[in-house]
Amino acid sequence: MTGLIFILFAGMAIGCAVSVVVQRHPLYGAMSLVGVFISLAGLYVTLAAPFIAAVQVIVYAGAIMVLVVFVIMLLNVEQEERRRTRLPFLVGAAVALAGVLFAEAAFMIYFVQASPATPRDNVSDVGQTFSIGTGLFTSYLLPFEITSLLLLMAIVGAMTLARTGGLLSARAGVVPGAQVLAPDVLDSEPAAGAQPIVTNTTDEAACVLGIDGVRRSADND
Amino acid sequence: MNPQLSWYLALSAVLFTIGAAGVLIKRNVISMFMCIELMLNAVNLTFVAFSSFFADVTGQLFVFIVMTVAAAEAAVGLGIIITVFRNRESLNVDEANILKL
Repeated sequence: MTGLIFILFAGMAIGCAVSVVVQRHPLYGAMSLVGVFISLAGLYVTLAAPFIAAVQVIVYAGAIMVLVVFVIMLLNVEQEERRRTRLPFLVGAAVALAGVLFAEAAFMIYFVQASPATPRDNVSDVGQTFSIGTGLFTSYLLPFEITSLLLLMAIVGAMTLARTGGLLSARAGVVPGAQVLAPDVLDSEPAAGAQPIVTNTTDEAACVLGIDGVRRSADND
Repeated sequence: MNPQLSWYLALSAVLFTIGAAGVLIKRNVISMFMCIELMLNAVNLTFVAFSSFFADVTGQLFVFIVMTVAAAEAAVGLGIIITVFRNRESLNVDEANILKL
């Protein structure tokens, strides 16, 4: 039974992986990659690792692939055009070398003795969230903290990369204790020779500025 | 028949090979990025298989950390891709060659 489930998920994973490479449009490739991730999550469940399976679906198939699909949609990626094969005589050599590699792998699988290790029975708590949390916060606390630093670096790096221009635009001025404003907004000095006019109501100001008061009130309706 | 450890290792090797071939074949930088994710997942499968068959939780902890690194890589990598696209109006890796002598 477990063997059948393995074959099902392994076939799905390999098929979707081949589809990732063969598809010419990146969006179809991304969808196939989601299939690979979900079948791998199924394999993790058969390996008695439910926490990793859940994280695989949530983080990989959820978060990362949504990000990738988002970028594909945002950049409006077009289909990859078919290229003319350069150095066509190398195709035969590549096929021959792949055959050699496959023969080597088959030789090893056939002659090397199979590992005697068998999966423990289901009472083992290795894959449970409890044991993973215990290991993560006791013996592997330093890698955990380094990972958090890495995530912080990734956040800052992604923000720096994705924004236009530098961290602050050159035209921006900073008022201490206030928000960032462009200098022409900050510039409170009147233009040469202009006199400031004091108005008390909005209508007066509109009249001075030459805005049509009637149309403005019609717009408000 | 219960699956052996070697079955999982063979599947992982196949997935890794497909991913590596994809990185070499593809010209679109987003497709290459997805093939790299495929290779990371193949290695994760090896980790989980060993962890399960030897009843040691360390492998699954490493998978957890690899997933975190992959998320960070996705964020920074896609930021780089957007910047390259903004500057060169193309996602073809052959056209991003200003570092070439």
